[in-house]
Amino acid sequence: MDALIEKLKGQIIEQLNLAEVKPEDINPEAPLFGDGLGLDSIDALELIVLLEKYYGIKIQDPKDGKTIFQSVKTMAEYIKSQGKA
Amino acid sequence: MSKVYINGTGCISPQNTIDKQWFFESLAPAQEDYFNAIEPSYKEFIAPNLLRRMGRAIKMGVAAGNIALQEANVTQVDAIITGTGLGCFEDSERFLLALVNNDEQFLTPTSFIQSTHNTVGAQIGLIMKCHAYNYTYVHRGFSFESAMIDALMLFKEGKQKILIGGIEEHTPTYVQLIRKANKLQAPPHPIWASTSKGIQLSEGSTFFVLENQRTNSTLACLLDVQTLYKPKTSTDVLEKLHLFLKSHRLDISQIDVCVMGFSGDVDFDKILQELLPTIKQSSSVVAFKNACGEYHTASAFALYTASKIIKHQIIPDTLAIENKKPTEIKYTLIINQYLGINYSFTLLSNC
Repeated sequence: MDALIEKLKGQIIEQLNLAEVKPEDINPEAPLFGDGLGLDSIDALELIVLLEKYYGIKIQDPKDGKTIFQSVKTMAEYIKSQGKA
Repeated sequence: MSKVYINGTGCISPQNTIDKQWFFESLAPAQEDYFNAIEPSYKEFIAPNLLRRMGRAIKMGVAAGNIALQEANVTQVDAIITGTGLGCFEDSERFLLALVNNDEQFLTPTSFIQSTHNTVGAQIGLIMKCHAYNYTYVHRGFSFESAMIDALMLFKEGKQKILIGGIEEHTPTYVQLIRKANKLQAPPHPIWASTSKGIQLSEGSTFFVLENQRTNSTLACLLDVQTLYKPKTSTDVLEKLHLFLKSHRLDISQIDVCVMGFSGDVDFDKILQELLPTIKQSSSVVAFKNACGEYHTASAFALYTASKIIKHQIIPDTLAIENKKPTEIKYTLIINQYLGINYSFTLLSNC
């Protein structure tokens, strides 16, 4: 799981062009939206594409996004639950 | 209509225009056959969360707009009008490359959203929380001229403060393609007497705060703009110029400084080269594309140059075509051409 979290951090930084952020700055349990990384709705779309591009996961119900994209850890757990890790 | 005053400028160009004290003392040379803009540290002008999504055109536009607003001490405007020939080219390239490389799959929204031509005006509006008129002209070599004409019409309708700007960016791929088409050459010396073909491709962003009131920061007055599409001969251009000046009860002999858009390409400059002897009989003539290079909205850099000349009442040696200095600079005329297709006259005066 730890390896997947580290991999995800790098992919998020690249996909969202977070040039000022280093992987160690991201707390895997901190919220991605709002307080934590301060991401917004456009970033949410980028994260959906990230899951599809790198892990072949299509999110069928947009309502699931709120739970999946809560933090890096929840993203990693979802990827693992889909058997794509 | 009351006069239209240029009360603030912000310019990002291949020269050190980001330094407010700089006034064409020395010119940075081209990179062989093209110019790169000298970009500032954008963190001073744009919040980091916005900056990470922006391509260079957007960053240059937002920063130049910000500088112009600061100089004019203006925080809100009645309209934001931009002009751009190619728009946000870098993001367009990025989006299209992703389309090809990923076999039309996994397309991310950011570069697509940011690639539209009106993104610069929109971002400035969002940052300023300005919900007023916001328009972008994409009229090739008339893009910035169209923005100026629109602004002048809005002043006639009673608007008081308008932000206008011209933005252009190039990318390494674009430079390479234009070079392969044999459209570029190293700058000829002097640029106004070129005998060879080719321009120096360039980029930049120049913004102006226009107001219907004179202030402490006023540089010049913008009187009028006229465009001329594909004139056949220099006689055609001269006739139109006479009519344009006559509508302001002026003739060529009353123009103190003429800012001319020689691009260094003998074909595109033919008409301007033919006009030069007539113009310089009575006016001091300066070039400006030896400083900024050629791009769709280089006329915005010309307006920056002309308004600074009026403000300082000095003709920079680096731009002067001959060493003739008027005692007072009252009227300045810009005659620009883009690829020998789009011609324009822009008339300014001191205030």
